[in-house]
Amino acid sequence: MATATARPLRLEVKPKWRGGPTSRIGAALAVSALLASMASTASPAGAATLSTSARTAHIGGSVSVWAEWTSTEQQDFEAALKPFESLTGVKVNYSGKGSNMDTAIDTAVAGGSPPDVALVPDPGTVISLAKKGAIQPVGPVIGSEASNYGAAWKSLVTYNGKLYGVWFKGANKNTIWYNPAEFAAAGITAPPKTWEQLLKDAATLKAAGITPFSLCTDIGWPVADFWQNVYLKTAGAANYNKLAAHQISWESPTVTTAFNTLAQIVGNQGYLLGGTKGALSEKYPECVDKVFPKAGATPQAAMVFEGDFVVSEITGNSPNYTAGTKGKGGAACTTSVSATPCYDFFPFPAPAADQKNNSAIQGAGDVAMLLKPTPAAKALIKYLGSPQGAAIWAKAGGFTSPNKKVPLSAYPDPVTRADAQELQSATSFVFSLDDLQGSWEPSLWQDMLNFVKNPSPANIRSIQATMQKQATAALGH
Amino acid sequence: MATVVRRLQPRPLPPGPPRPTAGWRRAGGLKWTDHLASLGFLAPGAIWLLAIVVYPAIATVRYSFFNENATKAVGLANYKALFSTADTLIAFRNNVIWVLVFPFVVTVLGLVLAVMSERVRWATAFKTVIFLPVVFSVTASSLIFTQIFQLDPHVGVLNAIIRTVDEWVNPPGAYPLTSGQTPGSLATAGVRPGPGGTLVSTSAVKAGGTVRLGLTGISPQTLSVLGARPARLPAPKPGAVTGLVWRDFSPANPTDTKDVLPGEDGLPNLHLSLLRSDGRVVGSTATNAFGQFSFDNPGPGSFHVRVNASNFKTAFSGIFWLGPQSETPTANLSQTAQAMLSVPLIDISMVLAYLWIWAGFTMVVVAAGLAALNRETLEAAHVDGATEWQTLRRVTVPMLAPVLTVVLVTMVINVLKIFDIVINLGADSSQPGGQASTLASDVYYLGFGGGVHTGLASALAVILFILVVPAMLFNLKRIGGER
Repeated sequence: MATATARPLRLEVKPKWRGGPTSRIGAALAVSALLASMASTASPAGAATLSTSARTAHIGGSVSVWAEWTSTEQQDFEAALKPFESLTGVKVNYSGKGSNMDTAIDTAVAGGSPPDVALVPDPGTVISLAKKGAIQPVGPVIGSEASNYGAAWKSLVTYNGKLYGVWFKGANKNTIWYNPAEFAAAGITAPPKTWEQLLKDAATLKAAGITPFSLCTDIGWPVADFWQNVYLKTAGAANYNKLAAHQISWESPTVTTAFNTLAQIVGNQGYLLGGTKGALSEKYPECVDKVFPKAGATPQAAMVFEGDFVVSEITGNSPNYTAGTKGKGGAACTTSVSATPCYDFFPFPAPAADQKNNSAIQGAGDVAMLLKPTPAAKALIKYLGSPQGAAIWAKAGGFTSPNKKVPLSAYPDPVTRADAQELQSATSFVFSLDDLQGSWEPSLWQDMLNFVKNPSPANIRSIQATMQKQATAALGH
Repeated sequence: MATVVRRLQPRPLPPGPPRPTAGWRRAGGLKWTDHLASLGFLAPGAIWLLAIVVYPAIATVRYSFFNENATKAVGLANYKALFSTADTLIAFRNNVIWVLVFPFVVTVLGLVLAVMSERVRWATAFKTVIFLPVVFSVTASSLIFTQIFQLDPHVGVLNAIIRTVDEWVNPPGAYPLTSGQTPGSLATAGVRPGPGGTLVSTSAVKAGGTVRLGLTGISPQTLSVLGARPARLPAPKPGAVTGLVWRDFSPANPTDTKDVLPGEDGLPNLHLSLLRSDGRVVGSTATNAFGQFSFDNPGPGSFHVRVNASNFKTAFSGIFWLGPQSETPTANLSQTAQAMLSVPLIDISMVLAYLWIWAGFTMVVVAAGLAALNRETLEAAHVDGATEWQTLRRVTVPMLAPVLTVVLVTMVINVLKIFDIVINLGADSSQPGGQASTLASDVYYLGFGGGVHTGLASALAVILFILVVPAMLFNLKRIGGER
């Protein structure tokens, strides 16, 4: 990782330019000025540093930015960019592409009209665009800000030894959300730390008459996410990445172990809300509502596995929900939504024998790429790598950043704080394996559903054989 | 009948346009510059057609011989891949079900509705209401039907109806079992599973004795609804069998069973029977809020206390209309054969919803055909004493045959490329590649779903096109014949 350490910037010192936002030469001069001013004050990186340096550097012009965020997330992102706009005079033209971001950027690059900066939810896109030479290395642009990220994050967007992306938003899938009041009703005082404890707690919940899990598995990808977590925790990150690249056979014993482990939950009718039939009909986000209902309803299950994006669903169900294990005003958590309900998560537990895998995390994230090295775009990339913008969105909620310089105090509650801390301290970070499978991804999802329908050892064997065939056919090895 | 009679009056033919004669013969002598003008008029339409029909069609055929991102020719590999997966077979089977069932049923339904609409008083209102779904977007209609078909009876009307009837016939108990539970799995202390989903006390008891029955797996919410109070063992009563049924789970001490701990509640309103040693029921009662019960004066001998099965009866939890399961009477066949021969519930649900959408259209077309029928023949049939049914079968339907054929063929083409309702109605677990998928929906998923594979998607689109061709040719020929 060449870019991991702060490298002195190579700068052409040119006179500062304070003209209007029109000429390209002027803008080019301006970025040099910005970089120069940044370098001159580039001691300990941080929000304060950036704002002082940026204050002196008016760039002007405009920068086009694409990302997947729309509606509320778009507003939050634009709010996070406000300081950048006012400090540099750069007008940000943001365009939210929704879930088609990867396709949109590929098409735009192929069509020769890409935006200046784009944030994509998939590091695979970054690498493939870097291979094509469609994006610029960001190491020289962000300089010391590169040290804001752990090695696990940077390695995902490094190609040929050069850093090509700046992580802005992270999403943690290493989370099992639980209703603390339900845990208390079953006498569970601390959330489980190992897979075995999780199973024991599930049995206790069932004995208390509480259904342990609400699964969001009417469709294949949540099962895949769940299974991938189990595989990561049982086989480790190295094997995970090998399986993602299909260097490990789908018939390997590690895969069997993961299926059998997950079958301990999925195969137990009593642990699933409505049994298998219920699990196969439960849509996201209704599956979350079964654990964290709206006012007037009672929780029907104690736990739901999903990424940290479920928080907005929970707090949207009722403003009464408090993050953590204490209700509003320090009262005990209640199952009644109109009183003092709470929500909390615990990290996805590895089996007792594989505790070393606990710091390997599955998740997702949005990474910024530099497509056109205009001064305004470079300044924006640097800004996105600094903690300043991220801290603003963090305060607004529903946001975690892998950026270590974003102070934990910026996050509004203990749950988000714990979530962000997990992201920042992850020793390995893996992306959804299914998204790396190309054309056979839908088949993989169907295989996963097939597993939920019948998690017997015989069916697991036949599913593994099918998956191996599909992977070989699709990936050619 | 007055109107009919009036219509039967011979009417003079309206003066038609003059037949083209000399003017047309001159066309052959036109100069090419005269053609230029007409070509100019044709050009926009032709270019439009070339750009959005002809070019994409040719490109699709070409892509079908290329790999997933159209960078390398792979020959027939895509077609081979398609024909060797069960997914394609399932999609093909679903298309066959659609083509066999839907056009026929919707045509018959249209005919019935059209004939009915001639008999009812508010014919226009009737036709408008039936026709209304045709105007809705299929997506909107599908969303309505996803609600109707919902598994959860609190949401899905269809399941709610079944549930209401079920609860009326056979009311659920106060302690319905949740998934994975059996009455036996609830027993912890002093009880064992009995016959027919009952629980029976393990030890025999004589009058004056006391029994304790511990049950687990009872939700705290059920207890709060029933107003349960802390469990307390009743004092023995001379001449009576007394006892306690309690929730043998203490949050403070979740692993301890068999003891009545503080914080454990009684199970109220539980229906119990007293069994004599010969198995006869000699008494029945229900527990109070503390979980206590008493059978007074059972007489001599030893007894067992039975917790009746009715306590645990689960409410109807819904039929998964849109789910991935299929009604397969073919479990002993190979997987491929099963895929081909089963009729999934989702297909039936989708056909029902689609009937609602299209019945209005077929009704209107058939009604138009009916209005144009030669009334003399119908009158003659009536005069000859034909019943309504005979008239319909022997006169109306044969005379309507051309119209019915058009409706049938149009609907065959319509359902061969059926897509929108599949995408919108099926639960996600029944697609893509699942029990609901059809060729057209698979084209979409292969091309634009999780993994983009233009080659496979194009190949499937070509196969779909080839399947539509016969119906299309038939229709074209018919239209040509009419001219």
